[in-house]
Amino acid sequence: MEFFQRFAIPHPSPAIYASMVAIALVSIGIVVGLTYFKKWGYLWREWLTTVDHKKIGIMYLLSALLMLFRGGADAIMMRAQLATPEAKLLDAQHYNEIFTTHGVVMILFMAMPFIFAFMNLIVPLQIGARDVAFPRLNALSFWLFFVGAMLFNISFVIGGSPDAGWTSYFPLAGNDFSTSVGTNYYMLAIQISGIGSLMTGINFCTTILKMRAPGMTLMKMPMFTWSAFIANVIVVFAFPVLTVALIMGTADRLFGANFFTTSNGGMDMLWANFFWVWGHPEVYILILPAFGLYSEIISTFSGRNLYGYKSMVWSMILISLLSFLVWTHHFFTMGQGALTNSIFSITTMAIAVPTGVKIFNWLFTMWKGKIRFTTPMLYSVGFIPLFTIGGVTGVMLAMSAADYQYHNTMFLVAHFHNTIIPGVVFAMLAGLTYYWPKFFGFMLNEKIGKTTFWFIAVGFVLAFFPMYITGLDGQARRMYTYSESTGFGPLNMVSFFGGALMAIAFLLIVYNIWYSFKNSPRDIGSDPWDARSLEWATHTPVPEYNFARLPQISSSQAFWDSKKNGHVLFKGEIEDIHMPNNSGVPFVMSCIFFVAGFSFVFALWVPAVIALIGVFVCMTLRSFEQDHGYHIHAKEVKETEAKYGEVLNNEDRSRATSRV
Amino acid sequence: MKELFPAKQVMGFVFSLVLTVVALFVYYTDMSFKAGMTLLLVTAFIQAFLQLVVFMHAGESKDGKAIYTNVLYGVIIAVVTVFGSLLILLWDM
Amino acid sequence: MKIDHAQPLEYSTDQNQLNILGFWIFLGAEIMLFATLFTAYFTLSHRTGSGPTPAEIFEITPVLIETFVLLTSSFTIGLGVHAMRLGRKNAMVTFFGITLLLGLCFLGVEIFEFMTYYHEGATYQTSAFTSALMTTLGTHGAHVTLGFFWGLFIIIQVVKRGLTPQTANKAFIFSLYWHFLDVVWIFIFSFIYLKGMM
Repeated sequence: MEFFQRFAIPHPSPAIYASMVAIALVSIGIVVGLTYFKKWGYLWREWLTTVDHKKIGIMYLLSALLMLFRGGADAIMMRAQLATPEAKLLDAQHYNEIFTTHGVVMILFMAMPFIFAFMNLIVPLQIGARDVAFPRLNALSFWLFFVGAMLFNISFVIGGSPDAGWTSYFPLAGNDFSTSVGTNYYMLAIQISGIGSLMTGINFCTTILKMRAPGMTLMKMPMFTWSAFIANVIVVFAFPVLTVALIMGTADRLFGANFFTTSNGGMDMLWANFFWVWGHPEVYILILPAFGLYSEIISTFSGRNLYGYKSMVWSMILISLLSFLVWTHHFFTMGQGALTNSIFSITTMAIAVPTGVKIFNWLFTMWKGKIRFTTPMLYSVGFIPLFTIGGVTGVMLAMSAADYQYHNTMFLVAHFHNTIIPGVVFAMLAGLTYYWPKFFGFMLNEKIGKTTFWFIAVGFVLAFFPMYITGLDGQARRMYTYSESTGFGPLNMVSFFGGALMAIAFLLIVYNIWYSFKNSPRDIGSDPWDARSLEWATHTPVPEYNFARLPQISSSQAFWDSKKNGHVLFKGEIEDIHMPNNSGVPFVMSCIFFVAGFSFVFALWVPAVIALIGVFVCMTLRSFEQDHGYHIHAKEVKETEAKYGEVLNNEDRSRATSRV
Repeated sequence: MKELFPAKQVMGFVFSLVLTVVALFVYYTDMSFKAGMTLLLVTAFIQAFLQLVVFMHAGESKDGKAIYTNVLYGVIIAVVTVFGSLLILLWDM
Repeated sequence: MKIDHAQPLEYSTDQNQLNILGFWIFLGAEIMLFATLFTAYFTLSHRTGSGPTPAEIFEITPVLIETFVLLTSSFTIGLGVHAMRLGRKNAMVTFFGITLLLGLCFLGVEIFEFMTYYHEGATYQTSAFTSALMTTLGTHGAHVTLGFFWGLFIIIQVVKRGLTPQTANKAFIFSLYWHFLDVVWIFIFSFIYLKGMM
């Protein structure tokens, strides 16, 4: 019995017990359902072993939506607790756990997979490739992310959630002050999914550099692909820092090392330093692909070329370098000298410049355009003013002297939500609506979509703008309650109301998917939005080989040119297509990683060592394996194409024939 | 036998040995910290560059430009990280 | 699979070129990995608590052996790749074998060095300095250990399957890895050992 004591929750509550029951029931339900409908084989063949970038993208998308609800549940609990002074809904410990998991889940397990979903779904199509450079590595990346997310999420029912904030600053995160295994979960879960992210970064950099269609020079790449490229460059150079920091944190907690301790020479500030050396570029990893999506959407629905393509590209390249030069602004108050703070104040303000350039480019793209206010466009138009407010408050925070006033207040919380929600979340929802038909073959309902936008936009403003005021008045972040005499009560109630509107919006998204699945027409053709870039040049839903013949490119909007200017996209005969084989190894290896991670969390050395050996065995097998993939024969491709041809005929005969 | 030992690689190896010996001066002679660090920085970066060009054939394929850009980018960010962190945590604390 | 005979074997297919570029990008990430370790070491090397200082535990002899052994192994693997391009399979396998043996020597000396530290009272837990030192050296050593097994697998494959576009590609990528470890060691040698003993 003593052995099992360690898995107990250190600080239980009825809600956690209810969650345990719910998780158990859902797991049993999934297993029973799969068995009853005889879907195990389907699940294994089509999903668990797939190396197809489109399916991996869809799995990223579903995981991200799932995690959005996990993180959202945390958020609404926090807002409810703070809605009134001296509320008793959550105690201090639970509040600590919830703001910690909210941050980690939203950044690493919601926003990251969301952008990886779009990269996987869109980038190979936009550059006219058959898949990514290393399809199997791509599957491994996904499964490592997935098991990392699962490992993190089981913490609140087995052993206790992390409670030291998403930044997990030492010495608070050290053994002295965080006695439960929660912070171990933090270190290992993020480590595992971080390795996956790093591999994705390498994979997409290689893909974009080497696998572009004939004629697509770097300066003719669609903007989303450019943004994905830059984001992945940042991933490659930023994530190793996190890897090392997490190794050190783990060593401190499990092996008695002294990196971040307060005795034997350890330096707790080193953790903060490393965390933000990774953490600030991470912000741009999230926002740049979002910018890419906005660029595609705004240009499509304004019916115009993207204004200032070159300045857009150069501003992103500049951002990728500058993003590594600003990290100190996250801890201006840590005690370093005025010289350092001044330097980092200036670099921080400088990074606002290329971002500003992009805002103007979007505005000029819309100028004189024939704007169609579809759901994705509404999100994009809403993004511009709201994100600008977030950016401007960022410049306020960038002034190190003034930051002493704002630091650790709700003002900061308002600022970064004001950049992340209109910046990233709006983009993800816009992208979801925009690309949904490409991968699922039907459109999401526009009316529900627009209603959702208004709920989320108004909800966002009501939830976060009051925090600017209470923050300036001194309301501290990460405090589970406040007294009535502070006067923060009414504005926090407004915030709660806004949070509730956002929660309704997220439910509406689910309702919309269900409603559209039932009611939307399926004969939408391959280009329902009248779009401009290459991903719309193939069929809907996309065949596994993406393009029967590789497209010939002569501009950044090859597809638009083929529709309007007589550019011939596809030439020559259909040939045999080389495809990678499916493999179960990435899934199995990731499961072994899960076991290793779990064992490390609880310092169970025997299973940990066995699992690590298992990982090396997988790598050894891979080294000796000979896998040359397989070919889809030209005849088969032609048959598949003919099937799509029939569908296309309903839509536009001339276009269909010119394309097939 | 001789074609197995190309002059370029042998010279590269000899040069790397020489650089190592030069670096050892900081140990065997009485040098100021500043002079020693300068010498070490110079020898270490030349060594690294030597490996990159002579042994790793960084520029040989048509991706040479991408490879050099990648390494240069990595080195710049690495240097910024090392010296930036030292500035924050030691020199300006 | 299209094979381009104008190129050396390791570059001869599209996938091979992807693999090589991908590995270079991975090495870019490795630069940052070791840069972070160096940052930690430089920040913590004076923070010795009640434990020994760098100058007290570093010794020049094992460090010199390690350095020359690793430099030589970097040279021999370069010769191995050269032999591979000449199509001299046996010479290539011999050079790769010598490289791995030198790698083992390096590891042997490093283990001996760690044991000495341990006996002198410098363990992983002693101080921030020893934690940072042993994590940095240990990460490099773990890379060499991994490289040893990886190299061994590649030699077995070359012997069994001959020089094919796949085996040549693997061998070339492995050589990049090994040279990179040598570069990292140069920095460890210069800025951890020599700086510490100066």
